[in-house]
Order: sequence, then C-alpha cells, then structure tokens
Amino acid sequence: MTTADSHNGRRLTARGAKTRTRIVTAASDLMYVKGVRATTLDDVLAASGVSKSQLYHHFDGKDALVRAVIDHVGERVIEREREALGHVSTIRGLRRWRDALVQNNALRHGAYGCALGSLASEVSDHDALARQALSRLFTEWQGLLAGVLRRLQDGGGLAPEASADQLATGLIAALQGGYMLAQTARDVTPMATALDMALAHIESLSKG
Amino acid sequence: MRTHFAEVLARENACLAGVTDGAKLAGWRRRVVEELMTPRSPYVFALRQTGDGAERADFLDRWRELIAETLDRLLQSGATGGTHCSSGQAARRADADPHKTAVLILAALHGGSTLSRIAKDPWPLNAALDLALAPFTATEDNSPARTVMSSPIGNMSP
Repeated sequence: MTTADSHNGRRLTARGAKTRTRIVTAASDLMYVKGVRATTLDDVLAASGVSKSQLYHHFDGKDALVRAVIDHVGERVIEREREALGHVSTIRGLRRWRDALVQNNALRHGAYGCALGSLASEVSDHDALARQALSRLFTEWQGLLAGVLRRLQDGGGLAPEASADQLATGLIAALQGGYMLAQTARDVTPMATALDMALAHIESLSKG
Repeated sequence: MRTHFAEVLARENACLAGVTDGAKLAGWRRRVVEELMTPRSPYVFALRQTGDGAERADFLDRWRELIAETLDRLLQSGATGGTHCSSGQAARRADADPHKTAVLILAALHGGSTLSRIAKDPWPLNAALDLALAPFTATEDNSPARTVMSSPIGNMSP
C-alpha cells in the first residue's frame, strides 16, 4: 500500500487503509450534511462502524480528521472540475459548466451547497493547516478557470487586457456565494442569477 | 444572531442612502471590504452560515433590496462610474438590471469573504467585487484587487 497515515507518515496495511478510508468517507458525508461544527467524533464512529481505538489510531482528534476530510473532498472536487473545465475554451462551454453545477444543486433545492465551500465557510480561524489546505485547493480551482479564460483570450473570445486570474477568482466567489445564497433561500435561483450575471460580464469584455 | 443582522442592516441602511454617485459607491465597497476583513465585525458574523435559517434569509433579502434600490437610483440619475467610460460601458450600464446585479454583489460579498478569510488576503473579495460592480464603476478607478497587500486589512481606509 502506498497510502501514508496523515499524522505519523507510517505506511498503512491494506486493512488499515480501508479503515481509514471508511472513517474519512463517513466524516465527509456527515460534515457535508450536518456541518463541521455539529459533527462529533461519536457521530463518525456510529456512521463508519469503526471502534474508538481504531479512529484514534488514525487520527489524533477532530482537527486531524477535518484536515483529512478537506483532502478527500478537495481531491474529488478538483478532479470533477478538471474534467469539466480542462478542455473548455468557449463561453458556451463555460455556460455548460454553469448549467451542470446549477442543475446538480437544484436536485436538493440547494440545501447542502458546495462540499468544499461549506468546509471553507466553517473551518476554524485557529486551524492554520486546514485553512492553508483549503486556500491551496481554491487556488487550484481558480487556476482551472483562469486556464479557460486564457484559452478564450487565445481564441479571441475575451479581450487580451482582461486579467484572467482576477476574473477567475471573481467567478469562483460568485459561484461560492451563489451556493450560500441558495442554501439559505432553499432555492437555487440566486445561485443561477449570480453565475449568469458574472458570465454576462465576462462575455461583455469580448465585445469591447 | 439577531443583533448582528440588525446591526448590519442599520449601518447599510444609513450608508447606502448616502450613495449618490460612482465614487460614493466605491467608498461603500471599501468600507464593507474592511468590515469583512475584520475578524469580529458584525458583518462577518452576519454572513457566516450559522443560526436561524429563516432569519438569515430575511436579512439577506433586506440587504439585497437596499443594494438594488441604491443601484436603481444610480441608474435613474445617470450618476454611475467616473467621467471616462467607453460607449460600450455606457450601453451595458443602461441595460444593467439592479435586482440581478444586487444578487451578484451579495454572492460576491459572501463567496469573496470566504475565499479572503481562508487566504488571509483581501484580494479575492476585491476581485469578486470588481466583477460584480463592473457595470457601475469606471475602469479608471485604481482597483484595489490589483494592489497586493500584506496584512489582512491592508492599507484600506474607510
């Protein structure tokens, strides 16, 4: 096995890795639905079916578990976004990306929001490691969108003087804020509106 | 939580009422950014995803309406942006929708402050607001998002 344990760098046996994955998966689901603060280690024990000693074998405590959840959720989200955005080079492609995100969120009336964004809005100011990990993940996501915008510029679909990084960050913020507004309103409409307005602005920059 | 919501709405009510041109809108934005980068500001507590959902929803609706009214007023008076704007910008502003723009501004404040909090840098929040406020500001303003700042509050003054 190549999986390294998060806090001591030990190699895990196949069974150890499986247990660890079970814990992290259960914790990710619970934190997505209930929130980070409301999820207790007892909840995770109950949902994953592992023993307390097994959990403490892998994680020092809740902070360590939260960091593992950030890695797990981040990897999934970035993989999804890389697949969705990796080859997009048109405004139409960006709108398809928007449609998929909005439609997926509409299935649950926006109730849970973005798994990574929820972690970001809940992570404690005191946990610098968790904060930095989230910051890196969002920078990576922003980089994927900036890549799309640069390809748009290459194809003449966006003014060359527009800052791809700044627009990409603005677009991610609109998306994340949209998720949060949808979550509060239990309605996906504000998320759709925020993304449409942000994309309309980006599109307007191609027309000078 | 009620106190944070009420506090922010009272301040926003007063500040947005005084926004009569693009420069004052930029002043409003600088002040809100500063609040959102100040850890114990009522603005930070009000935008956090905790507390009563119905109360939060009501708070966000009312803030959005205040912003939309302000934008609508700016459009009616024709007093947006600076003096140097291209005809393209003027045309876009003419068909800018204050209500939809207000939704984007609220999303930008929400999402941008989350990104800025984890990055400990006002840059993402400023980038978000630059995008959201674009139809209402001139390109010539020295956009704070392009200024690298080392401290969370940076060198912004109210």
